[in-house]
Amino acid sequence: MSQSDYHMHYIITNYFEVYFLGSFQYICNSSAVVCDVIIMNAPRQLLRIQCIGCIARILGKPVQRVILPTGAHLQTPGSQHNYGQLLRPFHCSAVCSTSRPSRTQLEKTVEDETLNKDKSLVTHDDLFERAARDSKTKADFNRVVDVFSKKDIRRRGHVEFIYAALKKMPEFGVERDITVYNKLLDVFPKEVFMPRNFIQRMFNHYPRQQECGVQLLEQMENYGIMPNVETKVLLAQIFGEKSHPMRKYQRIMYWFPKFKHANPFPVPHVLPSDPVELARFSLTRIADDLDAKITIYQYPSTDITETGEEVMRPHIVGIQSPNQRSLLAKHNPCRPVFVEGPFPLWLRKTCVHYYLLRADPVPSEEKVEEEFDPEMMGPEQSLFYPQRLDLDLERDMGDDFRFDVDDVEEGPVYAMCMAGQADQVTLSQWISGLQETCPILGQIPTVFRLDSGPRELQTTSDAQQTPEQEVETDQITEEEPLHSQRVKQ
Amino acid sequence: MAVSKTTLKTLFGVYGVIHRQTLLLPSTLRCSVILSSRSIYERDYRRPGQPPDTRWPWQKIQFDFSKGVEGIKKHIGLLKDEFVQRWTGPEGRPLIDHMLEQTRVQWEFRGPESLSQWVVSSDQEIGGRSEAYIKLGKNNTTCMLYGTLCSTPPRDGETRYSGYCTLRSKQPLASFDRKKYYDWSSFNTLHMRIRGDGRPWMVNMSAETFFSHQRDDIYSYFLYTRGGPYWQDVKIPFSKFFLSSRGRIQDDQHVLWLDKVKSIGFTLGDKADGPFQLEIDFIGLCSDLAHTEEFAYELYKRNPEV
Repeated sequence: MSQSDYHMHYIITNYFEVYFLGSFQYICNSSAVVCDVIIMNAPRQLLRIQCIGCIARILGKPVQRVILPTGAHLQTPGSQHNYGQLLRPFHCSAVCSTSRPSRTQLEKTVEDETLNKDKSLVTHDDLFERAARDSKTKADFNRVVDVFSKKDIRRRGHVEFIYAALKKMPEFGVERDITVYNKLLDVFPKEVFMPRNFIQRMFNHYPRQQECGVQLLEQMENYGIMPNVETKVLLAQIFGEKSHPMRKYQRIMYWFPKFKHANPFPVPHVLPSDPVELARFSLTRIADDLDAKITIYQYPSTDITETGEEVMRPHIVGIQSPNQRSLLAKHNPCRPVFVEGPFPLWLRKTCVHYYLLRADPVPSEEKVEEEFDPEMMGPEQSLFYPQRLDLDLERDMGDDFRFDVDDVEEGPVYAMCMAGQADQVTLSQWISGLQETCPILGQIPTVFRLDSGPRELQTTSDAQQTPEQEVETDQITEEEPLHSQRVKQ
Repeated sequence: MAVSKTTLKTLFGVYGVIHRQTLLLPSTLRCSVILSSRSIYERDYRRPGQPPDTRWPWQKIQFDFSKGVEGIKKHIGLLKDEFVQRWTGPEGRPLIDHMLEQTRVQWEFRGPESLSQWVVSSDQEIGGRSEAYIKLGKNNTTCMLYGTLCSTPPRDGETRYSGYCTLRSKQPLASFDRKKYYDWSSFNTLHMRIRGDGRPWMVNMSAETFFSHQRDDIYSYFLYTRGGPYWQDVKIPFSKFFLSSRGRIQDDQHVLWLDKVKSIGFTLGDKADGPFQLEIDFIGLCSDLAHTEEFAYELYKRNPEV
């Protein structure tokens, strides 16, 4: 657009701003013009649309089909949901409604504050505190923002207000809501902070407001919220295309989609509230075996005994895969198995604990070599469906991708479980439940190595554990009859 | 100069002497001042809110003869190794191994001396309340990084976010504290065997740079742990590492150059307060012939100037 065009355009806009400020919103709302290409070059198109709308009104013609010089098509009034608020007039905000509802307490407080400025000091934080004393909801937050926006057409103190609002968002529970961020971004007056000439563009025009916009986007980034097209349009209207907040928006839009699915073990944002479902999800996650089967040994319930006491029965959810079962079947009954726990598992912000049933690693002298059954390979076996294949077809002759490192000696893990309570009774119930599928557990002594706090996964017992073991070997004789009793039941 | 600066340093056990620009010093003093100089960027970290260290260089000298003698022995031993090892191959390994190897184990934790190559730090440096410790796992076969995170920021007026911990490897040093770099140009994948507790970590690698503006350049990628009792093999190709500086991802991206790698680090900052643990078995490199990607992110100029 040439210079003269621009000047003319500018004068018209200013003219309309001065004379039609009050009813501007009314005109624009009634025309309800929607532009398809608005997203591409938002501020220019917005200004043009406003001008054209006003000119059309002056001339008395309805705005039906106007073709802009750039070829953008303006459609007849149709949907206006998101884009309705794009036709906000200069300096005015979208929430400036023509009707005047009854003045709420909050508005009265705000008006009192403006009138009696020298008498009291009401900080922006206090506004939020007063708005919702008992419960803090999104509606209350929105109401405070509305009151601030309506109070002053020039939005004095909007930077401080936005900083205070950003700090208060977690208390009101709206920090993950993109509509609330857009509403907060709406508090900025539009088109005031856009640089108009090269000097302003050079010298970081309105640095405090730009920093505030960047901080708002940074809070969105911290909570991992993706901005939407409304954010972009707002930013373009407020700061312009090449401002710091717009650049930050572009960076968010570039990097967030790249890393959104980088997690090979994704955890949903909303975890199941039912403890059994949560245990099921986390056990399938740590089992690392798709064949593993979950068994729910006990659902959480509350029993009332004869004496009238309430007995809480916690949930017990266990998991075992066929590999683990076969390993357990091969376990030497002379050596004990250990129930270890609780070990922590973090799912986003929640920490759950799981317990293991494992054995110590077999020392090398006692290791039994698995005999290679010659009948598995032979002329009578099928060549197309062999039972055992010893070829490594992915590797070339000279390739060797092994690491020159000794393997960490660790005992096998036989089963895992998650229980509501971390005591021996609950875990014994789990063991007895496991015994139904693995009868060898009845003969193997079980030692409980429970710790009050989370600790590392142990590999072999060391000197510190032997006194504990000696104490527990006394209990082993008690364990065995317990087990056999349960089996009989 | 007849005696090199690090020898002087070791003789007198001087650590952390800072060079101050004083043009009026006599020539002998100026020699020793120039000998022990650290640039403004290599100084010890100044915690936000604390006054800067304004001691004169001579106030920082600490004399310790026995330490000095040990230092001399160690450095001369390293120097001798450097001359002798050249005859077998680079870094003492036979040349045929260096040329044909497809995997290399860079860090493994098989003894207490392996922990001295690592530095643990947490946000206690800036006044936070997280704790991080490192110890050897059972049987001295693994490294266990454990501790607690606390994301309340310190009340010093400057810091806004907190709650992180890092484990970083020390830069390899040749004789007389000269910096040495890892040369991983024949590999293209980082292979780690770890056992975490489900928390998302981040792997950071820093490489040697030429300009001082690139001082805080770190190439990072995410390390998602599954949790559970089983070990997890993580393979991250070097083409996936993106460039960031001082924690902010940069607009101009380029691939990590593998010929001069300084250190590797693991960091955790997932804003979940509570205990954490990470067990590392070994960190190795391998060359994945199927991975032909050079860089995962676009190289064109994304934010043209105004």
